[in-house]
Amino acid sequence: MVSKTRLAALGIAALLAVAPLAGCGSSKDEATKQPEPAKSEEPAKTTDEGTKTATDDGAKKLTGDFEIQYFVGGYGDKWWKKVIADFQAANPDLKIKESGGPKINDQMKPRWVGGNPPDFVYIDGPNLNDRQMVEDGQLEDLTDWLKDAKNIDGEKITDILAQPAQEFDGKVFDIPLVLNSWGVFWDKALFQEKGWEEPTDWQSFLAVSDKIKAAGTTPFIHTGKYPYYINGAILYPAIVSANNNDISILQDMAASKVEAFQQPAVLTALKKIVELRDKGFIDKASIQINHTDSQMLFLQHKDAFIPNGLWLPNEMAKDIPGGFSFGFIPSVTQDAGGKVVANTSTANVAIAKNAKNKDAAKAFLQFVFSKAQASQWAELSGAPSNIKGDISASNAPSHVKDAAKYLTDANTVVVPAITFNADVDKAMQDATDALTISKITPEQWVERVVEVAKKAAK
Amino acid sequence: MTRIYSSVILLKLFWKGRFNRMKLGTTKWQRNLFIATFILPTFLFFCVFTIYPVAQAMYYSLFDWSGSSDNKKFIGLDNFKEMIHDPIVWNAMGNDYFLVIGKIIGIMILATFFAIALTRFRFKLSNFFRSIFFIPNVISVVVIGVLWNFIYNPQIGFLNSFLSLFTKDKVDITWLGFTNHTIWMLLPPAIWAGIGFYMILLIAAIQSIPESYYEASGLEGAGQWTQFRYITLPLIWEQMKVSILNIMMTTLNGSFVIVLIMTNGGPDNSTQVMGSYLYQMAFSQYHFGYGAAIGVLILIASLITTVIMQKLMHQETIEVS
Repeated sequence: MVSKTRLAALGIAALLAVAPLAGCGSSKDEATKQPEPAKSEEPAKTTDEGTKTATDDGAKKLTGDFEIQYFVGGYGDKWWKKVIADFQAANPDLKIKESGGPKINDQMKPRWVGGNPPDFVYIDGPNLNDRQMVEDGQLEDLTDWLKDAKNIDGEKITDILAQPAQEFDGKVFDIPLVLNSWGVFWDKALFQEKGWEEPTDWQSFLAVSDKIKAAGTTPFIHTGKYPYYINGAILYPAIVSANNNDISILQDMAASKVEAFQQPAVLTALKKIVELRDKGFIDKASIQINHTDSQMLFLQHKDAFIPNGLWLPNEMAKDIPGGFSFGFIPSVTQDAGGKVVANTSTANVAIAKNAKNKDAAKAFLQFVFSKAQASQWAELSGAPSNIKGDISASNAPSHVKDAAKYLTDANTVVVPAITFNADVDKAMQDATDALTISKITPEQWVERVVEVAKKAAK
Repeated sequence: MTRIYSSVILLKLFWKGRFNRMKLGTTKWQRNLFIATFILPTFLFFCVFTIYPVAQAMYYSLFDWSGSSDNKKFIGLDNFKEMIHDPIVWNAMGNDYFLVIGKIIGIMILATFFAIALTRFRFKLSNFFRSIFFIPNVISVVVIGVLWNFIYNPQIGFLNSFLSLFTKDKVDITWLGFTNHTIWMLLPPAIWAGIGFYMILLIAAIQSIPESYYEASGLEGAGQWTQFRYITLPLIWEQMKVSILNIMMTTLNGSFVIVLIMTNGGPDNSTQVMGSYLYQMAFSQYHFGYGAAIGVLILIASLITTVIMQKLMHQETIEVS
């Protein structure tokens, strides 16, 4: 009896002690099983086989696993679902895995750090910065491939890109898929009803803002929680305008060259924000609200203008009141008669350096950079694609067509997508916020940012 | 013969002793096994989920690492040296301790007041109010942050609308957008969210005080205040101590959530706390090593503060008793 009790006690004790260990063991097994060699080698192996069994038209038959990471934000995921389904139909032997969602950038981070990234990545949304990914050696060098790459229709990809790929020390690692533009929005219907003129330059913008203020509406709202909106739509175009439409100043700023921030054009541009502030045109609520709140107030006609990107109408689709008609101009900071400056905001696509199925990833690039997909993108996401083409006949929304017109106009200075160093970018955002609430002067803005740029350039 | 007899007895005694020792040894072994059964799995989990991450954070704090690269550059204590010259770190630390002190004072005063009101001043709706005061504790901090963002909204917020009832012009104060001291505005939601739990803790402590103490003091002519000062307070002091320490630790480690939701550390980093700055540096500005160093600083600050507060409150306990 005693021995039975002892045995039972020993048994329970052993079970209790071993159970958690067993749990750890099994999860570890699972973790180690996930990137097991056989599986990871599978795509390469089958791709080789695919090469051998090339189809009649000479294209490789794609097989194996192929994983696509895409962020779902203001553009939604309708286009991604559609293009992936189309690509799957064209390559039935390929096992495509979609990793998409609004938090996907954070969710996939451990995979990138652990050297097991997805094959293809759409670089958009928070916490994913192409400059940083290049510095970290995570992206495949596409320089040579892109030189001759053709899309599925046989067109050279570089020939049909509206904006060329950003170069990092002369090399290309990602290609812009979405050509977006920062700018200023208003409600055309409201302006017509109130008899307010639509702005075309800085002087007309100030004049109509005076009228709007006199009528009891606050002229301008932005999101102080995310000051890159006001920087992207107001400050950077203003810097280019003040620099005689020479965009190299922004490129030098992106390369953290200290002297670029000390150019008089930067101060001139900052003084325009000060002018807005001192005239009482900036809604006081701006400093503490997020982008959604600022957009809601704009849609409710509490404010007349909002700096934003072309994703705005799609993002707020459910909350747009009836009769609301979006007016858009890429910049308002140019002097009368000056060129409009379109600060583009592209969302890019790239192949992971450690991708397991690079052939499929390259084929997918050739698939998405086609005119058919460009038109489909404009319709499903409500933003222009980075592929040249006339979308006036497509079902794209009118503001997208307006924006496309600006972006292809010879009188528009188009600023190619620029990615700032993350520290410099944050310093500029903080300083602009401080400027809008009279905490610092434009000169202090420059001092602050120069300090950070010096450190970043080291 | 006697010698042989003695030897037999000695041998018997020897075997008996050995048997007893064996019996004793087995009992002790069983006892140890029993204790180990409870301690080992917990210790193992503690090592995996607490010790290991802390050690990892300490290790990463010695590197210049973006957090997403294969390459880490060992830089020794450079991250800590840089922290000394980073004004945002000092500002964040100041904000953290401001929240600790503000929350301790606010939560303890209100939680004690409500606990006493709901136990000593017997009234009909006390159970109802107990539930009402506890509700914020079951709401996620994220929801609390969003809710208070609406309260503070300068255009459509409750606070400005309420104040506008008493003024000629519409009040349009930007509660979360002052050039300085915006951190003050995070105190009310943080206190509001914390009262319920500590109130329940103190209610339990007050209810364990024998009613006869109050009856006897009442007969001696002691009023409510005297009873609170000389009976309730000394007898719930242990629970109050635990509450204060817990508020301190949860604030230092967890206030970043409410900061991220309500202000994102702004405007111009004025509401940054160490946790939110850690997140900012590690995940948005790609300085994972520096973020880890801030984490180590939070750990050291928490440990030092806990030791100091325990010493301070220990002395007070002696005074009371």
